[in-house]
Amino acid sequence: MKSARATSIKPRSSRRKEAGLSTGTDSYAWIGSLLQAGDSFYPTGSYAHSFGLEGLTQEGVVRDHATLEKFLFLSALPALRRTDLPLAAHAWRALEAPDWDRIGEISVLSSALKTAREARAAAANIGRQRAELAAVLHGHPLAREYLRRATAADWPFSPPVSAALEGRVLGAPLPAVLAGVYYATVASLLAAAMKLLRLGQNGCQTLLTAAMRQSAADIAAATATPFDEIGWFNPWLDIAAARHETADGRLFIS
Amino acid sequence: MADFSGHLSLRAATRADGRTVLARQSFRAPYHLSKPYWDMDAKTLLVQVVNPTAGILSGDRLESDIDVRKGAALLVTTPSASRVFKMKSGTAECRQHFTVAAGGWLEVMPEPLVPHRGCRYRQSTRIEVEPGGELFFADLLMPGRVAHGEAWAWEKLCLEIDVRLGGELVLRERFEQTGAELQALAELAGSGPAACFGNAVLIAAETDADQAWRDAVAALHGDGLWVGMSPLRRGGWSIKFVASDGMRLRSGLRALRQVLSMRFPRLTCDPRKL
Repeated sequence: MKSARATSIKPRSSRRKEAGLSTGTDSYAWIGSLLQAGDSFYPTGSYAHSFGLEGLTQEGVVRDHATLEKFLFLSALPALRRTDLPLAAHAWRALEAPDWDRIGEISVLSSALKTAREARAAAANIGRQRAELAAVLHGHPLAREYLRRATAADWPFSPPVSAALEGRVLGAPLPAVLAGVYYATVASLLAAAMKLLRLGQNGCQTLLTAAMRQSAADIAAATATPFDEIGWFNPWLDIAAARHETADGRLFIS
Repeated sequence: MADFSGHLSLRAATRADGRTVLARQSFRAPYHLSKPYWDMDAKTLLVQVVNPTAGILSGDRLESDIDVRKGAALLVTTPSASRVFKMKSGTAECRQHFTVAAGGWLEVMPEPLVPHRGCRYRQSTRIEVEPGGELFFADLLMPGRVAHGEAWAWEKLCLEIDVRLGGELVLRERFEQTGAELQALAELAGSGPAACFGNAVLIAAETDADQAWRDAVAALHGDGLWVGMSPLRRGGWSIKFVASDGMRLRSGLRALRQVLSMRFPRLTCDPRKL
């Protein structure tokens, strides 16, 4: 029978690792590589997507800085907090062992949560590209094994799963991985907004700064989200994304 | 006030003459079942599930299990809106499970859910369809008792839906906005202070002839109604609609069923026949 002390030490140690606290042997080399993976220079293909924003501009919902700000805080950030961030957190944990059955389950859930075809296709393409880059650039066996299993089992590729994979490959702690997802998601959305709306760079950076101020609280909430409570949607965004599939003219793929 | 542990279990199967019958039925208050009606034209059995109490109250635990066997066709509806009343304490929960075998058809189209001020309600819907089975599920949500000037005032509302086709998850949705969050989104979208929501799932194999009715669904968008339809991961479509008020929501759903009946003639079954 395990002693009470033995059972209590492991979770504490695990929590320290999850929080990214140094255990004395950790290095912080992952920081630069994580910045690389979150940079707009990193070829994930996200520049070609507006993540539903173009559909909402076509419907006249998002039309200027003020309505973009509302959309960001009423829709984009709640979706991150309740969907992509918890998915990435669960994937990061599952990749420790790794628990491949769980990774497959998270991959399918990630796809099933996106009802609009364009949003799902965008996620699959970006997720695949991120996973392949993790394997090609770092030559890591975990990334290669993920790709092998994903292909064999026909798992849908998922940006949150791929971000978790990157984090594991780089040795990055969970909060840093989720901060990377947070930044990349908001930055991609605002980059698309700059092409769709009359917005200046400073205006976008102001919104990005305001969003990042909320990131710590959102990441903490997402980290504690149980698996069966993952999910959130904005009906108007889903409708606009569905209508974007047959739009007469468009700038973005999604 | 007594808590209910309501239970409804139905199995629809075909008789030798091809008609659908309820091969098994079991229910307990607050569920009650009206006499089924066989629609000769739509070749569909219509069943109304009645809640003879005022509505859903704190402590209610409702479970329903509806199973459609091969070749059977069933439409399940309710005669009136489901009100979820204010709760001083506690919560109410409804768990729904629908299964459709290959060659079966199930339509689930209850009247809207109306969450009152201060209610706490969770509804979990699990749908399992075998390949070759077909389903149309439509869930409607009102923002509250709009005629009484009460809207977006629920305390906790969670609507979950999981759809599996041949055992594989093809759709999961979780709708858990606070009233204030949803009201703010409605204002942003210009849908007005009484915006109502429809969330439908259509499970059926895609054919080359689908473009005509898909275009017709897309054409429903406008004049106070938002409509969007998109293919699921496989085997069906998600159809969402938002209306400026309850009347427009109902007329939108009628129009949607009419359009879809071009391809799915069982949708000509009139849910108000009883």
